[in-house]
Amino acid sequence: MYTTELLDVITTAGVLYIVAVGLLLVYGVLRIINLAHGAFLALGAYAAVVSTGLGWNPWTALPLAFAVGVAVAGIVEWRVLRALYARPLDTILATWGLNIIVVQGITLYFGREIRFAASPISRAVKVGGTTYSEYRLVLLLVALVVGGLVWLVVQRTSIGVVARAVIMNEELAQALGINTRLVRFVTFCLGAGLAALAGALLTPLVSVHPNLGVPWLINAFMLVLVAGVSLGSLALVALLLGGAQVLVSSYGNPVLGSLTIVILSVVILRFRTITI
Amino acid sequence: MVLFAGLGLAAAVAGSADSADKKPIVIAVPVGLSGVNSVVAPAVVQSGQLAVEEINAKGGVLGRKLELVPLDDESGPSGAVKAFNTAIRQHKADAIITMETSAARNAGAPIADRAKTLYIYTSFYEGKACGKYLYVNAWVPEQVVPPLIKYLSDEKKVKKWFAVGSDYAFGRGMIEAAKKTITGMGGTILGEEYQPLQQSDWTAIISKIKAANPDGIIYSTSGGGPNIDFMKQFKAAGLTMPVGSLSIDELTAEAGGNAAEGVYYTGDYFTGLDNAENKAFLEAMKKKFGANLKTPNSLSEPQYDGVYAYAMAIEKAGGTEVDKVAQVLPSIVFKGPRGAVQMNKQHHAPLPVYLAQVQGDGKTKVLKSFGLVDPGNQCPNLK
Repeated sequence: MYTTELLDVITTAGVLYIVAVGLLLVYGVLRIINLAHGAFLALGAYAAVVSTGLGWNPWTALPLAFAVGVAVAGIVEWRVLRALYARPLDTILATWGLNIIVVQGITLYFGREIRFAASPISRAVKVGGTTYSEYRLVLLLVALVVGGLVWLVVQRTSIGVVARAVIMNEELAQALGINTRLVRFVTFCLGAGLAALAGALLTPLVSVHPNLGVPWLINAFMLVLVAGVSLGSLALVALLLGGAQVLVSSYGNPVLGSLTIVILSVVILRFRTITI
Repeated sequence: MVLFAGLGLAAAVAGSADSADKKPIVIAVPVGLSGVNSVVAPAVVQSGQLAVEEINAKGGVLGRKLELVPLDDESGPSGAVKAFNTAIRQHKADAIITMETSAARNAGAPIADRAKTLYIYTSFYEGKACGKYLYVNAWVPEQVVPPLIKYLSDEKKVKKWFAVGSDYAFGRGMIEAAKKTITGMGGTILGEEYQPLQQSDWTAIISKIKAANPDGIIYSTSGGGPNIDFMKQFKAAGLTMPVGSLSIDELTAEAGGNAAEGVYYTGDYFTGLDNAENKAFLEAMKKKFGANLKTPNSLSEPQYDGVYAYAMAIEKAGGTEVDKVAQVLPSIVFKGPRGAVQMNKQHHAPLPVYLAQVQGDGKTKVLKSFGLVDPGNQCPNLK
């Protein structure tokens, strides 16, 4: 009876999680909100367009997108952001500028019109007495895998330990001989790579155009503000806010639904007493 | 300035007694070269350029050349105000012929009206825009919605409908028109849902469609991408009922690959129209613009017709005096790529309407013609 609603809620949470995880990582370690996150989503989506154009298997778009995101982020971190960490407000300006440059670059090369990227899966499967989009279920699985991998890296590897040390107290970490500059570099590249990966993963759901990242950036931004820096709370918030959006859209209407994430975020932030 | 002096000299050498009369006839084209219309605007300008070139090659109108002045209206009202003022004050435009957003048209039309400048609007729109000097040569909902609904109802046996739209004036207006037709034909509407413009995830609406289980869908999103978003997710959810679209166009369908396969839609112009005028038009466009050609489409082709209709009206009126031109304009019939178009119904035009379907490769196939369809009462206060 409620199978469709349940599937809608968990797959929507999965999509939101994939889209927001890169932003959360950058925010957690670098303490900056990467306003170019939407542009990296778009870069990933165009990687899928290029892969389709070359006649490659649609799945190859994923590693390609990740690589493009990492490469662009690497250059930007190295040439621009590195000099700005002491001035957090300027990083907002810099990442927003980067967003404009990337989006305009895409527009110049690919044009403003929508582009086609082949979908790896476009059929529906039977689940619990209803037919459901197989791709959305795959996305849920990808969200779990990506979430798990990032969690493993942060919790169970020495890179993760170092990153957590930087999150907790950067000056102390530096004093202990930790190369915080390298930690920041790797984290920014990883966050942008994940954003681009998310962009490629979105292409079977939405059309590809230079501004496709904009609506997703806003939701991801809200999610990260509410979740703080923990991967677990991001998953919880994605489930909570994404679920609320789906349910309000289903039982009310989508116009109200689109407001729920923003309104709930504001309410939660207002009444949240513990900071994570 | 040097250029003007040169022209004056040429006129003097030609020994023209009335050099003022040999000034070019200026047609301004305020169009969305930037902003949301920037995808389609270059094609609109190209259509106008071809018409002007063809008319000038035959000696112009009344011995005067036509001159096309494209201006950027930034796809919106504030840009339109600037562009219309520039057109009228700086370029001394004799007429404004263009495709614009409704917001831009609503801002620009009063300026053209006050300056007594003829304005031929060449974009399909929601209807009921009226003015003494405002003429429209593209479709209004009354012309494309009923034929589409009737076809799906009669041929595809769609009796129970689900209506989906983007939450903005045009999307809601088109769905209103569709609902009126559906109930008028004895059909029922099981559900009606609107999606905010910035939202690209259609999950909740698709689940509602699934729960309602209608015979068919009628939808009207905003132009371009949202059509493909909706159709991708609709199909991925395993839904297979017939879909009629009030917002898709040839370019979008093709850019979407197989996403919109099977979607039915109606319109007054398709590149695949099988008539001599259309073939000649497409051939001439290809020849003039070569690799830079922007594919002609239903938003750009009427610009070609509009320039021709204006030129023929000047010829008939014997000059560019606006009241005379406006008076004869409804009597002008231009047989162009869409068929014979005449703006003789309250400043609007009965138009040939065709049914088309998106194919597996994204290309559009014209299935049938409905003949001339009347725009209905758009401006009852005008003749």
